[in-house]
Amino acid sequence: MNTLILGLSIVLMICSVLMVLLVLLHKGKGGGLSDLFGGGVTTSLGGSSVVERNLDRLTIGTGIVWFACVVALGLLMGAEVPPQ
Amino acid sequence: MLTAFVRAFRTPDLRNKLLFTLFILVIFRLGSAVPLPGIDSAEIRQCMENATASGGGVYQLVNLFSGGSLLQLAIFALGIMPYITASIILNLLTVVIPRLETLRKEGQSGQARITQYTRYLTIGLAVLQSTTILAMAQSGQMFQNFCSPSLFMPNQDILTLITMVFTLVGGTAVIMWFGELITDRGIGNGMSLLIFTQIVAVFPSEMIRIWQEQDRWVFAVIVAAGIVMVAAVVFVEQAQRRIPVQYAKRMVGRRMFGGTSTYIPLKVNQAGVIPVIFASSLLYLPTLAVGLLGEDSTNPVVRFLMTYFDPTQIHPVYMATYFVLIVGFAFFYVAITFNPADVADNMKKYGGFIPGIRPGRPTAEYLDFVLSRITTAGALYLGVIALLPMVALGTAGASANFPFGGTSILIMVGVGLDMVKRIESQLQQRNYEGFLR
Repeated sequence: MNTLILGLSIVLMICSVLMVLLVLLHKGKGGGLSDLFGGGVTTSLGGSSVVERNLDRLTIGTGIVWFACVVALGLLMGAEVPPQ
Repeated sequence: MLTAFVRAFRTPDLRNKLLFTLFILVIFRLGSAVPLPGIDSAEIRQCMENATASGGGVYQLVNLFSGGSLLQLAIFALGIMPYITASIILNLLTVVIPRLETLRKEGQSGQARITQYTRYLTIGLAVLQSTTILAMAQSGQMFQNFCSPSLFMPNQDILTLITMVFTLVGGTAVIMWFGELITDRGIGNGMSLLIFTQIVAVFPSEMIRIWQEQDRWVFAVIVAAGIVMVAAVVFVEQAQRRIPVQYAKRMVGRRMFGGTSTYIPLKVNQAGVIPVIFASSLLYLPTLAVGLLGEDSTNPVVRFLMTYFDPTQIHPVYMATYFVLIVGFAFFYVAITFNPADVADNMKKYGGFIPGIRPGRPTAEYLDFVLSRITTAGALYLGVIALLPMVALGTAGASANFPFGGTSILIMVGVGLDMVKRIESQLQQRNYEGFLR
């Protein structure tokens, strides 16, 4: 087991957990299933607060790191396999 | 039609919303094609082709909802499924648990609480489903032993597996966020748009497959049947009965209020596509049970499930169960969402009445009577639309994952109509056609 792969896996796991937490911190929009298929019209007016905007930035950052980790790890594992 | 599109793109606000929505959808599709770390994408695509060519795997319907990304084990493999399941569970629980019922009646803040519960439950279900799927993939059941799991999962040590589970759960969270972003800043309802995208995404490849495999005439007939079905679904989805309501004039202070006549629109298919989704999710349970119990034919339970509830070879019992479930859920959902007694009470409070019927209890009874008659037609329609392709194709000998399957048509048309309506209302908000033109 490559140490690079190990490190990336750990980073990826941490990122995933962070992602879940950050998304759950957002205020949920939309009212479940009844809203899913042409239900009530709930338009929230007004811009998002500062907290929400910072949260957005954090989430986007974590998301990019998460995605980069996935791709890098996929490539590394793909490169490692053929010699076996 | 085209001028509406041009106008939509001329309005800066609406243009930004449309572009934002498209951008999110593109990222979403991109993520549906990126394989999990530790999965060999070329191998797994080969496996999937083998499996679908020989009659389809276990996860046909779920794969339909996930746009083919589930069988490829992409990072967004779970797709919107955990969220749908969580919403179904919470919807059913509102009837059982009084606390949820009071929250639902509380209005916006209570609704927000329920949404929050749905989101927590989604993550929980994502953990459960991701482990189940990985376990099935690892044991080779996912492709019904068409190819060995060691081909597409080269290293199966515990660290890789745990990383995969974490990635899948993270992906589900990302999808949930995408859906909310679209609802918030884009146009239309995010979650339903994501389902729509995944269903439409499978469409071209399915059409090409039929074009290659079947006779040209069969292809033409299938396309024609599809168009007729879409037209029929649009027609019924738009249908509604308008119950006239007259409001009495009244004086408040020195101003005159009311005196208008409006109507209560009762849609023929008030429940929308939800009953179909509920029923198909429930019918997917037997296959899951077979997957967990193993496919040995000595076990009587497994044998029973295999003969009657195998989605690849549709048994009449399967179809009957599907039909009954759809009709039942249609009535159930209408009963949850529309309460005649409440409507009658509200009308009485504001001095409204249906001409010829006393306010209060008689009105509620009348509404109930009309609603149950309309819903009977609506529920039968839903069941027939969902079953028609199965029956027709069962006799014609085509596969069950026909692109014009009832569920996918209902969802596509429902979401599409909703989208058009929202864009139109946005347009009307922006450019009001003045008096002189």
